[in-house]
Amino acid sequence: MNQLLRFLIVILPILILIFFAKVLLVEEEINFANFEAKNFPEFQLNDLSGNPVEAESLNGIKLVNVWASWCITCLIEHPFLTKLSNNDIEIIGLNYKDTDSKANAWLEKHGNPYLFSMYDPRGDLAFDLGVTGAPESYLLINNQVVGHIQGEMNQSKWETIFLPLIQKAKRSS
Amino acid sequence: MIGEISHFLSLSAVVLLSLVLIFNLFFSLNKFHPNQLILSMRLFNQACWLVFISFGMYVYLAISDDFSIAYIASHSNSQLPIFYKVTSIWSAHEGSMFLWIVFLTAWSILFINSLDKDHPLKKLTLLMLSLVILGFLLFLLLTSNPFERILPFGVIEGADINPVLQDPALAIHPPMLYLGYVGFVISFSFITAYLLNGDFELLWEKDIKNWSFVAWIFLTIGIALGSWWAYYELGWGGYWFWDPVENVALMPWLAATAFMHSLFASSKSNVLKTWTMFLGILIFALSLFGAFIVRSGIIDSVHSFANDPKRGLYLLGFSGLITLLALSIFAYRLPALNSSKLVVTGSKESFLSMNNILMVTSIFSIFLGVTYPLIIESISGEKVSIGPPYYNTIFSPLILIAAVFIMISVDALWQRSMSLRALFVTVTAPTLLSLLSMYLIWRATAVFSILAYIGIFSGLLILFSYLFRTINNVFNKKYINKGSAVAHVGLGLLFFAVSMNSILSYEKNLNLAPGQSISVNESVQEFSFDDIRVLKASNHDVISAEISLMHDDREIFLNPQKRQYATRGQITSESAIHASVLKDTYLTIGDKLENGSWTFSLKINYFIKWIWFSAALMVLGMLLTIFKKKVL
Repeated sequence: MNQLLRFLIVILPILILIFFAKVLLVEEEINFANFEAKNFPEFQLNDLSGNPVEAESLNGIKLVNVWASWCITCLIEHPFLTKLSNNDIEIIGLNYKDTDSKANAWLEKHGNPYLFSMYDPRGDLAFDLGVTGAPESYLLINNQVVGHIQGEMNQSKWETIFLPLIQKAKRSS
Repeated sequence: MIGEISHFLSLSAVVLLSLVLIFNLFFSLNKFHPNQLILSMRLFNQACWLVFISFGMYVYLAISDDFSIAYIASHSNSQLPIFYKVTSIWSAHEGSMFLWIVFLTAWSILFINSLDKDHPLKKLTLLMLSLVILGFLLFLLLTSNPFERILPFGVIEGADINPVLQDPALAIHPPMLYLGYVGFVISFSFITAYLLNGDFELLWEKDIKNWSFVAWIFLTIGIALGSWWAYYELGWGGYWFWDPVENVALMPWLAATAFMHSLFASSKSNVLKTWTMFLGILIFALSLFGAFIVRSGIIDSVHSFANDPKRGLYLLGFSGLITLLALSIFAYRLPALNSSKLVVTGSKESFLSMNNILMVTSIFSIFLGVTYPLIIESISGEKVSIGPPYYNTIFSPLILIAAVFIMISVDALWQRSMSLRALFVTVTAPTLLSLLSMYLIWRATAVFSILAYIGIFSGLLILFSYLFRTINNVFNKKYINKGSAVAHVGLGLLFFAVSMNSILSYEKNLNLAPGQSISVNESVQEFSFDDIRVLKASNHDVISAEISLMHDDREIFLNPQKRQYATRGQITSESAIHASVLKDTYLTIGDKLENGSWTFSLKINYFIKWIWFSAALMVLGMLLTIFKKKVL
């Protein structure tokens, strides 16, 4: 019994340590993996005011941001998104697994940085897009998904991942 | 130039601390030298002072707007009042880590110099403290250097502090919390030194008792302030979100609370000594785990700093190293430590150990809640989130059992079994009164929720037990431990307030044009939107609404605002709060709609102030305990 206890006291922390190291290392790989451009999936959704969303409204350079009123981290990235929209970056919301009344109340309370938000209560489009949770952001250039960020969007992620892609697209056009 | 000097001083501290370690390692291989400790102490003290001076200079850099320093340039601004220039230092990762280390150093230098010159554990404790400080200083300088310059030229203006953090609470919430977290480095180092030393006749409890109590007070105040800040200032609308970072602060708090309780038991009746040591190590290990979770960005949270795997790996490696070091020594010494003395069933310490087990169970449940999403994600790639329902379900039964044991232990005796008759007397009255009050509450509110009523019952049990004990004290002159009584009444009140809050509070979303007025419900008879105005302030625009309410036959004026900040374009909501003893009326203004009306969110929060009052009682109880003449 005592021997087992002594063994556990040392082994358990080691296992926890290995687990977190693994998670950290895997996360690093994902962050730096090259993203393969793909077409934006087809969809039939309304926006949060109930009007159908036209596929053409996604043309050009658009940032698609997955958000929900239940998501606390969305609140954290919200000021940064507001700043982006003030700097003429066009952001389209993908309201994910939410109800429209709560989503609209959330936008009223915290401000709306989005051109409009697509309302995806069951997560259909999100599924086709490969969304794993909120918040997530996709960069769309001419209906092509060229970049993807999981978790909170912030200055450094914007500058290191999305901004170079936008600059590249502008140069080549 | 000052930036370089400040940087250089921190580097010098690294060199001195390394010298302490190398030098002692060298000497321990050879014969003991009488001046070894004196020299080590000098080096260590000087290293600590270098850290303090370096931080002092850094504060000066922030006040004098040195925007060639990258960190200051991205978190401060020349327009800020001096107060916020200073607090901006700990508004993000690098600077707050620096502050963390300064506190670590401060606790260490105070403690080590308070020990007698020839205290047998002084040298080993010194080495442990040096190792910890050195590890974190290296972390700061290698992975998150706050001294980094923008070369070749600095920027003219700083990017400004995040408006959400432009708040007086930023000046106290993080420092209090850090003081609490790192304060437990003392119990950690001292217990590890004791185990390394191997002389188990030595009494170690009394040397670290008050230090741990003070650290506990800081940690409690830090957590309570964070919750208060989120509710009153940040307008998050609640006081606790079971956010991962709140959880990682709660874990060391629970461990520290368990530690203090078992410290009492082990000093009163010489039991649980081994267990107490384990807890003493665990608290700091959990603090380090918290630092890792927050600063590695491994879990998305309200508090998380920028995501950098390099930092995460370093922190994980170093925290793991010192935790494993301490635990291995503990495991190695375990057979020699086992005291043959058993806990007497039915004695005070037996109930105390039961609650100790409950607290460790809570820690484990929280740990599971925090890591579960990561485990699932690494197995199936699916993202799940663990929210309040998990924690509420886990904690309700735990606090009920805890409350029962607290109730019984109020009248239990140290080292002696309690008679069944005494048990019956102790339990009957509080239980009946609590059941009766619960029935009355149910009749009055007509709301029912099993989890909330378990909480209410648990809270009332504790409150009534202490009420009877106090009556006994006044009329029968029966002894009462004042510190313990006040702290536990605080706990009972906390359970009661949190549960009452959860069943009574409600939220209404309203939609009105200026000049309009409506009736919300029986309690809020009239809600009138009198006027709305746009004002200009120094660095932001303000939209301010004037609202009058007829609330429970009293007229209330509320003034919710929205602010738009110039530098970052960020919009913040300033909720208007009217507070009375029982409830808060909490009003937030939303957006203007196309038809000219505005949206409002009206929240009625019951018993919310009682939550912080109960935390204050716990702190007060602890202070009474510290200042009592003879504790151990």
